Amino acid sequence: MASQAKPITSPISDVYYPSLAVVMIGIGLIVTASFFIYEATSSKKTRSLAKELIAGTVASVFLGFGSLFLLLASGVYV
Amino acid sequence: MALRSAHLFFFFTITLLFTSAFSNLVLSKVERRIDLTSQIVRTISTLKVENEGPDMISEVLLCFPDYQAEKLAFFLVSPNEGKGKSKSSTTSLPVQGVKPEGMPSSLTFYSVSLPKGLSEGENIILDVFAVFTHSLQPFPEQITQADSQLVLFQDSAYYLSPYEVKIQSLSVRLPTPRVESYTKLQNTKLVDSEIKYGPYENIPAFSYEVVVVHYENNRPFAVARELVREIEISHWGNVQITEHYNLVHGGAYNKGGFSRLDYQARPHVRGVSSFRHLLARLPPRAHSVYYRDEIGNISTSHLRGDSRKTELELEPRYPMFGGWKTSFTIGYGLPLQEYLFESEGKRFLNISFGSPMQELVIDNLIVKIVLPEGSSDVSVSVPFSVKQLQEVKYSHLDIVGRPVAVLERKNAVPEHNMHFQVYYKFSGLSLLREPLMLISGFLFLFISCIIYMHADMSISKSSASYLAKLQWDEVQAAIQQVQNIINRCLGVHDKLETSLRDLSRTGDIQACKAARKAADSYLKELAKDLRPFLTFLQSCPQAAQILPKVEELVAKVKDIEEKLMLKNIMVVDSYEKKSGGREIENKVAALQQKLTTLRHEVDDILEVIDEI
Repeated sequence: MASQAKPITSPISDVYYPSLAVVMIGIGLIVTASFFIYEATSSKKTRSLAKELIAGTVASVFLGFGSLFLLLASGVYV
Repeated sequence: MALRSAHLFFFFTITLLFTSAFSNLVLSKVERRIDLTSQIVRTISTLKVENEGPDMISEVLLCFPDYQAEKLAFFLVSPNEGKGKSKSSTTSLPVQGVKPEGMPSSLTFYSVSLPKGLSEGENIILDVFAVFTHSLQPFPEQITQADSQLVLFQDSAYYLSPYEVKIQSLSVRLPTPRVESYTKLQNTKLVDSEIKYGPYENIPAFSYEVVVVHYENNRPFAVARELVREIEISHWGNVQITEHYNLVHGGAYNKGGFSRLDYQARPHVRGVSSFRHLLARLPPRAHSVYYRDEIGNISTSHLRGDSRKTELELEPRYPMFGGWKTSFTIGYGLPLQEYLFESEGKRFLNISFGSPMQELVIDNLIVKIVLPEGSSDVSVSVPFSVKQLQEVKYSHLDIVGRPVAVLERKNAVPEHNMHFQVYYKFSGLSLLREPLMLISGFLFLFISCIIYMHADMSISKSSASYLAKLQWDEVQAAIQQVQNIINRCLGVHDKLETSLRDLSRTGDIQACKAARKAADSYLKELAKDLRPFLTFLQSCPQAAQILPKVEELVAKVKDIEEKLMLKNIMVVDSYEKKSGGREIENKVAALQQKLTTLRHEVDDILEVIDEI
């Protein structure tokens, strides 16, 4: 059995955790900012639900992954 | 004292009752080495087993007296290939506790299965390695700070065995040459720090000759009453080990108080029985090592690492004297790929079981292996007997909790620090559970924001102020559109200006005319777009304030348009007539002034509208 055993590592190497965290949170915050700007400058007539939902989903995906990598980079291996 | 005489009497009777050999095996040569240099007693007995009878023998019985067997922590029997072979090829033979009939009752028996049966006349050499804890009794039981620690050790000079022994010898190794007293039998000599008993010949089975050694042992008597070792696996690349120690000095109790002055002035004289340092051998590439207790971080520690091990030297907050307790926690992280492997669809963790501390006796060792959420089918394989339990632990980002395999072992010694395996099943997709939870958390925030913006939370839908607010919203939307169109008009004006500049540069009149035509048509379109918004604003009572400004803006923009067109025509005509640059400028000077002032006014009005 030992001859077939291969070591398991994380799907993304440890070295990339901090940079991935910064990049993803950066993109997530930019999309969040555009979401809130759209909410603030649009009136009831010009608002479109599809645009809002897409922006919200994209922002939450990037923020979610970004915060996961932030937790991993700071040593809290969740 | 009473213990010794009781044992003497008991085993004397046993010897009387069982003088006849019961089996055909004979131990032709026994060499015992007892190592008393630390608090853990280690005995290595080399037995040469010979089969004198006609039957084929496949198992050998070994026995220990009950008082020793209950302190037996580790027991290993391996065949000895002889002096030439290297020691590394030790395969341990299976050992089982048995209760054969017709044997004296206060003995514990173990049966060793031989790899192949022993036929008549054959012999085999076995190495029996036994480790005993708490076998050294401090005598005197209470000492002062300056005293040296003296302990009693009791064993038998003759090897206790159900078989007859032809030749045997015993050598007891002590830490220092200082011995208070030792039992003097025939053939006894004390050489340096070793007491040699033997050789003795033709001793019958079950013979027991009490030997008591009273000697000085100042080695650290570190005993952990309880050690909880938690191994947490994260598939993102880390194995985190946290160990909670509850240490006590297991030697002679300290009486008469502790004088710090004496201790610090001459530590080797006052405080010779105490210990200050504990050495832990952590695996290589251990990171984020911490050492703290309930008060906080303990800074008296040293960490040295190289490619084969990481050494952590700990100093508790005070030196440990007999009977004193301390408790602390150490933790460290290890890279995942050296400990977690995959084979045959299952993942398994291969990690050491015991404590990394040197020469530590653990009364109750609890190892908890925390597997990530979503693991199933957990099974453990340990080379020695442990008690297994299952638990659930709730940690970061957990919904159902992480499965925990708990292994308990009483009486653990450093020899138990072997590798063991934990098998479990984990699908790769379950790794996404954690980011999905974070994503859904953020998504919840965004959706609640959207709902808040869309929801109409006014109480009365037909009140005047509510209707007024609705209308105001519409007015604002219309004004925004108007602004858009005006900005586009201004863009077209700028394009016209640039085409004029291009003309002065390149002299291409046709292009300029074409640009002017395009601009003209575009502006007409924009004017058409503007009309419905203007009519709406005029009809709306709410817009009464802002309407005059908007109309002013539109008028001014139209003015600018006309003047720009005029200027454009004039400049193009002058070019066709080929008049000089200075003349052109004079002609358009007045127009240009008016244009710039109008432009400023338009910008001001736009700003005012923005503020409203």
